[in-house]
Amino acid sequence: MEFHRRRSKIDEHKVFSKATRLGNLDGPLFTGGREGRKSVGLGVVLTISGKNQDWAQGAVGSAELAGSDWLGFLDSPLELIELVGSSVLERLIERFVAIEVQCISVLAEASSLTRMPLFRAAFGNVTVKAVKDLDSAISQELALFSQKGITHAFVNSANAYTETDLLDLFCFHRESRQPITRTFDNEGPLDLWVLDCSKLHRVEFETSLNHVGQNGAPKYFIREYVNRLLSPRDVRRLAADILRRSCETAPCGKQVRPGVWIDQGGEVHRRARIVAPAYIGCGSKIRADALVTRFSDIERDCCVDSGTVIEDSSILANTTVGICLDLCHAVASGNQLWNLERDVAVEIVDTKVMRFSTAPRRHAAHTVSSNEPIEVPQDAVVSQKPTMPDTWQFGNNFSQE
Amino acid sequence: MYTRGPVIVMELPERLNHQEAKSFLEELQPFLEGDRPSIVLDCSQIKHLESAGVEMLLQCLEQAMKRDGDLKLAAVSPASAVILELMRVDRLFEVFATSEQAVRSFQIFASATVPQTQPWYAAPQGLTDLKAAS
Repeated sequence: MEFHRRRSKIDEHKVFSKATRLGNLDGPLFTGGREGRKSVGLGVVLTISGKNQDWAQGAVGSAELAGSDWLGFLDSPLELIELVGSSVLERLIERFVAIEVQCISVLAEASSLTRMPLFRAAFGNVTVKAVKDLDSAISQELALFSQKGITHAFVNSANAYTETDLLDLFCFHRESRQPITRTFDNEGPLDLWVLDCSKLHRVEFETSLNHVGQNGAPKYFIREYVNRLLSPRDVRRLAADILRRSCETAPCGKQVRPGVWIDQGGEVHRRARIVAPAYIGCGSKIRADALVTRFSDIERDCCVDSGTVIEDSSILANTTVGICLDLCHAVASGNQLWNLERDVAVEIVDTKVMRFSTAPRRHAAHTVSSNEPIEVPQDAVVSQKPTMPDTWQFGNNFSQE
Repeated sequence: MYTRGPVIVMELPERLNHQEAKSFLEELQPFLEGDRPSIVLDCSQIKHLESAGVEMLLQCLEQAMKRDGDLKLAAVSPASAVILELMRVDRLFEVFATSEQAVRSFQIFASATVPQTQPWYAAPQGLTDLKAAS
C-alpha cells in the first residue's frame, strides 16, 4: 500500500540518521568504538497478556440488559482488536519492522487468547507462540536471542500503544551501560523495556524487573503518543486519534477524499453520507441514507443498514447494524454495545437491531485449545495483505466527493 | 399497578419481548381508552428490552395522545436508555427518575392549567365599564 511505502521511507531515514549516530552506514546496526565497528543485533519480544481484559469482568455487573450467559464485552484482548484497519499488535510490529530488528517473537498467554492474531502484512521475521507462563517464556526467548547472537532486545507488552522513537530509546539504553532500561510516561511506568540479552536471559524476567526498582536503573521518558488501552473508552480514543492523525500511525485503505478512508471491498451507497474523518473497512457495506460521522470507524465485514446514523462510534469487525438506528458514542461488536456516554454495556437480543455478520471471518483458522506452547507456522498465521486495485472501485458510486 | 388520583402507574415486566408486550398492552388497554389517560410506566424492573417492547410503548403513547392524554416513563435504567436512544424513541417520551416525580408532573400540569382566569371579554365589569364610559 502506498501509505506503508511512504511510512517505511520516513523510518528508513530515521534508521539511517540513528545508525550514523552509532557509527554505521551499512548492515542492520553497528556501534563505533575504540575497538572498531561492532555489530549489534536487535530482537523484540511482544507479549499479549490479556491484562486489559480485566475491565470486562467489571462490565458483567453493569450489563443490565445482559442475559445470564453474558461473558464480557469482547472475547479477545484489546490489543488484538482491529482498529481503523489493523490491530494495535500489528501496528507495534510495523514500528519494530521499520527499525529493521532481526526477529520479532509474539508471546501470547494461552488463557487469554481465543484465536491467533490476524496480520494484514506478511512479516518475514515474526513468530507467534501461545505460552502458559509469560515470564518464563520471555526468559527462554531472551536466551534464544542470545544463542542467535542478538545482543539486545526490546520487551514490549502490546496492551499499551506507544509511539516512541525506538532507536533513540536503544541509544539511551546503550549509553546508560545498564542491563535494563524501562520506559515511563506522564502517568507512570510503561511495559516497554530494552534489555541486554546476554546479561539477563539466565534470570527470570520478573527478577530483572525487581532489579529495575532496587538499583535505580535508567528510566526513559516517553513524550510521544501513548494509549494504555485499558477499556473500550481507550479503544475509541485510539480510533479517533488515528482518524484525526494525532498519532503517527495512519488508517489503512485508500483515502478517497480528505479524511475518508475506504478499504478494499468497502461499499458506500451513493445516497449514504460519510462525513470526514471516517473509515470504512474491508468488505463493509454502508447502505442508502445511512450517515457515518464524527471520527467513526466501521471495521471489516460490517453492514450499516439504511437510514442508520453512526456518530462518534467504532463498529468492530463482523457487525451488522439494523435499519434506522442511532448509534452514538459507542463501541459495538456483534450484538454487544458499550455506550461510552452512559458507561454501560448492553447485549442486544433482537437480531433485527444488531448481530454478528454472516460474512466469513478472515482470521487465520487457529484456535488455542491447550495450554501447551504452540508455535504456529509462519505461513499459517500470516494472511496476505489485501492489495489495492489499480482503479478504485468506489470512485463511481461515491456521491460525497 | 396503582393509581394516584387520575394518574395510573404501571410497572413494566422484567422481559419486554413480543409475548410480554402483547399481554401488557391488553392489561393497559382499558386505561388507554378512558378520557385523557394519564399513564406512568415504571421501567425499573426491565432487564430485557426488545424492539417489540419499544413498539408497544409507541403504540401506548399514540393511543394516549389520541385521547388527549400522555404516557410518561419513570426509573429508566442506563441500559434501557441506551436501547431507547438506539431506536430513536427516547425523545418522544418524558422520562423521570422516579414514578412519584412522573405522577407529580401530571399534577403540576393540571393545577397550573385547570383554574383558568376568565378572558377579558367574558368579564361583566368590562361591559359595564364600557357603558359607563360611553
